[in-house]
Amino acid sequence: MQLCGLSKRYPEGDTARVVLDGCDLDIHRGEALAIVGPSGSGKSTLLNLVGAMELPDRGALWFAGQDLAQLSETARTLFRRRHLGFIFQQLNLVPTLTVLENLLLPLELNGALDADGRRHALALLERVGLQGRDASFPEHLSGGERQRVAVARALVHGPGLLLADEPTGSLDGDTARVVLELLDELRRERGMTAVLATHAGEVAAKADRRLALGAGRLQEAAPA
Amino acid sequence: MMLGRAGLRYHLRQPWQAALAVLGVALGVAVVVAVQLANTSAERAFQRSAEALQGDATHRISAGTAGLDEAFYTELRRAGVRPSAPVVEGYVTTAGGEPLRLLGVDPWAELGVRDAVASAALAVDPGRWLSRGGMAVLFQPEAERLGLGAGDPLPVEAGGRRHELEVAAVIEPPDELTAEGLRDTAVVDLATAQAVLGRHGRLDRIDLVLPDGEAGAAALERIKARLPQGAVLEEAGEGAAALDEMTAAFRLNLTAFSLLALLVGALLIYNAVSFSVVQRRPLLGRLRAIGVARGQLFRGVVAEGVILGVIGTLLGLPLGFALADLLLGLVTRTISDLYFVLSVRSVAPSPGALAMAAALGVIASGVASAGPAWEAATVTPRTALERASLEAKARRLVGPLGIGGVGLMVLGGALLWGYGGGLVAGFAGVFALLVGAALIVPWAVRRLAIALARPAGALIGAPGRMAARGVAAGLSRSGVAAVALVVAVTAVIGVSVMIDSFRASLATWLDSTLSADIYVRAPAETGSVPPTLPEGLAADLAAVPGVASVGTSRRLRVPSEYGEIRLRAFDHGPAGDAGIVYKHRRAWAWSAFQAGEAAYITEPFAAHHGLAVGDSVSFRTPEGERRLPVAAVVRDYTTSQGAIYVSRAFYADCWGDGLINGVAVYAEPGADPEALIGALRQAAEGQGQALQFRSEAEIRARSLEVFDRTFAVTRVLQLLATIVAAAGVLGALLALALERTGEVAVLRALGLTPWQVWGLELSRTGLLGAIAGVLAVPPGLLLAAALTGVINERAFGWSLQLSVDPALLAEAVALATVAALVAGLYPAYRAARVAPGEAMRED
Repeated sequence: MQLCGLSKRYPEGDTARVVLDGCDLDIHRGEALAIVGPSGSGKSTLLNLVGAMELPDRGALWFAGQDLAQLSETARTLFRRRHLGFIFQQLNLVPTLTVLENLLLPLELNGALDADGRRHALALLERVGLQGRDASFPEHLSGGERQRVAVARALVHGPGLLLADEPTGSLDGDTARVVLELLDELRRERGMTAVLATHAGEVAAKADRRLALGAGRLQEAAPA
Repeated sequence: MMLGRAGLRYHLRQPWQAALAVLGVALGVAVVVAVQLANTSAERAFQRSAEALQGDATHRISAGTAGLDEAFYTELRRAGVRPSAPVVEGYVTTAGGEPLRLLGVDPWAELGVRDAVASAALAVDPGRWLSRGGMAVLFQPEAERLGLGAGDPLPVEAGGRRHELEVAAVIEPPDELTAEGLRDTAVVDLATAQAVLGRHGRLDRIDLVLPDGEAGAAALERIKARLPQGAVLEEAGEGAAALDEMTAAFRLNLTAFSLLALLVGALLIYNAVSFSVVQRRPLLGRLRAIGVARGQLFRGVVAEGVILGVIGTLLGLPLGFALADLLLGLVTRTISDLYFVLSVRSVAPSPGALAMAAALGVIASGVASAGPAWEAATVTPRTALERASLEAKARRLVGPLGIGGVGLMVLGGALLWGYGGGLVAGFAGVFALLVGAALIVPWAVRRLAIALARPAGALIGAPGRMAARGVAAGLSRSGVAAVALVVAVTAVIGVSVMIDSFRASLATWLDSTLSADIYVRAPAETGSVPPTLPEGLAADLAAVPGVASVGTSRRLRVPSEYGEIRLRAFDHGPAGDAGIVYKHRRAWAWSAFQAGEAAYITEPFAAHHGLAVGDSVSFRTPEGERRLPVAAVVRDYTTSQGAIYVSRAFYADCWGDGLINGVAVYAEPGADPEALIGALRQAAEGQGQALQFRSEAEIRARSLEVFDRTFAVTRVLQLLATIVAAAGVLGALLALALERTGEVAVLRALGLTPWQVWGLELSRTGLLGAIAGVLAVPPGLLLAAALTGVINERAFGWSLQLSVDPALLAEAVALATVAALVAGLYPAYRAARVAPGEAMRED
């Protein structure tokens, strides 16, 4: 994926707050890229743009020869559905679906909900240590368990790109470490590209490359 | 202060939520105001009319439809009974087809009895009264309405006969009572009224002004000694009171419906205030953490509810006024169709009705906010942040609430079917049934939604499961909306089934009772005295080729031990009792009836006076008081006051006249009804009276038309209750949509298209509506049974056959689903427009 001169600003009263100001970035296949920066620096906005959830004011997002910014709403939705896996800080799971149903949702949306898909989802659930919890609803899980389900769901349909926004931001230290190890292990096994937005040094340390976001621009960050 | 400010800003930031609560109260209050104003306006018009007509009279002498011989009045005057004023009164139709009351008086005798009428009558030169007939005095407003001035001709029609009157004078009403009470009235002299109304030599009544004390008692004794057979002396207000009582049940029914709308409105307030509390739980928890006392939170939230209630009430009052205009037309038309001619031109402001509706609106708002306020006050800082704890609490509550609901329904059943209470107890039972059913709804919604999750998932996949479980999971939000919808749809089912049953019973009765082929009567029967038909008409019609036989009927009011009652004397000829639908009877009933040795009474008469077969009824006739055993109780839907049937032979024996009001023509087999009507018209020509010939099918159709008109007002109230409930659902769904923005954003991020979000949201709301519709069916049927079998019988005395059309139930479920879907359109639109990036951004 290639980001060319991406700019994004948000109106604030009569003025506008510039969040991204001509960002350029190449994301290489199979790499883990960490975007670091303090709260409010624009990390989530950048991730939303990469995930085609928001449109830039200027610039282009090239993916497989297409500028995502020029695609229709439906085409962008289909792009997300097929190629992306998401992990958010919170609000990850659908509360009215069980753990297993949450995992099966991306498969169903991609028309891949068959016996194999179900077996694969159950295996992944076992892999994240939640065997036997498939029928539980999210409200009955701890924060760490929920985030492990989110990791499994982000991977279950084999997307090419994983986007994680502060994936351990709402977890305590030990739980965060467990989730992070799991995420890193599974990503490497599958050779997936990942973009992680974080202000946690421990998360950034797991990445192959680190970029700092400040004043609307990206620059190489110091090694973690 | 700060708490109040925080609450105010919350509502300013969520204006739609506050607006819907206000709308709910406004609509609820408007319906109550409208019904109360329509009722009080109709009642006031009737009272004012009665007062104006009564004047200073203390007593009256009357003899029902037959009236008094005018010679009796002369005898009274000679005996020194003064002031006394004779009256002949009835309705005629103007050239424009509107009813006009003709008040026939002796202008000089009116002095001291009705001075306003005397001043009107004496505005005309007394010499003209004596020298010319056909003169009428109009009051200014009525003359303006009719576009008439002094000297203009005033053509009127009564009982099929046209008469040319002349406006002798137009005068300003001397006081407000006359202006209101004598609107639609033309004052004429006695002879003119007698000629126009066909009451030659008869008086409808003689009004008396008797002194108090011993002198009055002595005068009463003197008059009683002179009273002719069949006449009755009573206090002047009794007749009006009896008429007022007639419509009491009808007005109580309307009031009950308006309270239903307010109940649904109160649920809406509960809904809105409870959302505002639920959404602010974290804030409330923080406030508790920094030391705000429970009492302060409780008072703050109740105050918010009351403020919303006050705003809604202030909007509802003028809205109610506007709605009252619409309802007033329907109410007065129903009263005129069913009871007596009533003319009400405008809504009369009634401070009592407005104050009652305002108090109900504000109190209902306060009571509705008390529950959420308690929830707000008992929230702990820790649980406030857990949505799951709230839903768990809601889930814990639904069981006990359901048990309470079952208890209330049992109580309602006991009030309705357990013992023979009155109408008020019946309505209390109906409300207990409704509230009981409402309390069971959250439990039932949860159970049904959970049960439907699997089949919905199998049918449409994850969105189906999410929709069904979303309904169950959002119970703390959607439960009250579902309750409001169930209550409204229950009322729709109950009332519709009752109306259908009533209509079916009426149609069945009409099929049986309209045994003749053609019915003849005078056109435009208005007022309490039906016009009579020309003598010899029945014999003329019987001689027409194609006529097998004829029957005759006579309808009149007679004084009785139960006040003035309706008497129907008939002779069906060879058809015998073919047109009578018996409810209970003695084996020998018909032969005794024909011989004039027994009477039949209608169902409402039996119910109102606690009579049954084997009892007896007595009434006054010109031949003195007659008592007859009741040989049968018969079905009759023509009047809710009930009537007594006697044979024509008995009538002839007591009244000694050949007067008839209607002729029933039985055609020979194979005769063409249209051709026969033509021949009958020809035979009746030259009688000097226009006549109305209607086939059995036409009478049937017209009867059902009047029936449908009667329930138009009920349908309007039903519709309003449903609109209020739909507003509740809209509020609930908007609140849910607001809360679920994050969830929708996740789904959109995962790849749900906006159309799929539309589908998901509409599935959820449609499912909520459909569940509410299905849940409304059992209480709706119970309500129908209560209204049909208990309320109707207690209010009007009619027993109805419960008939349930499955299509009607399907329509009600569809109505609930469509109402929910319509209410869900905007929330779904909002949800589909959720931009996942914006919603998920956590910079």
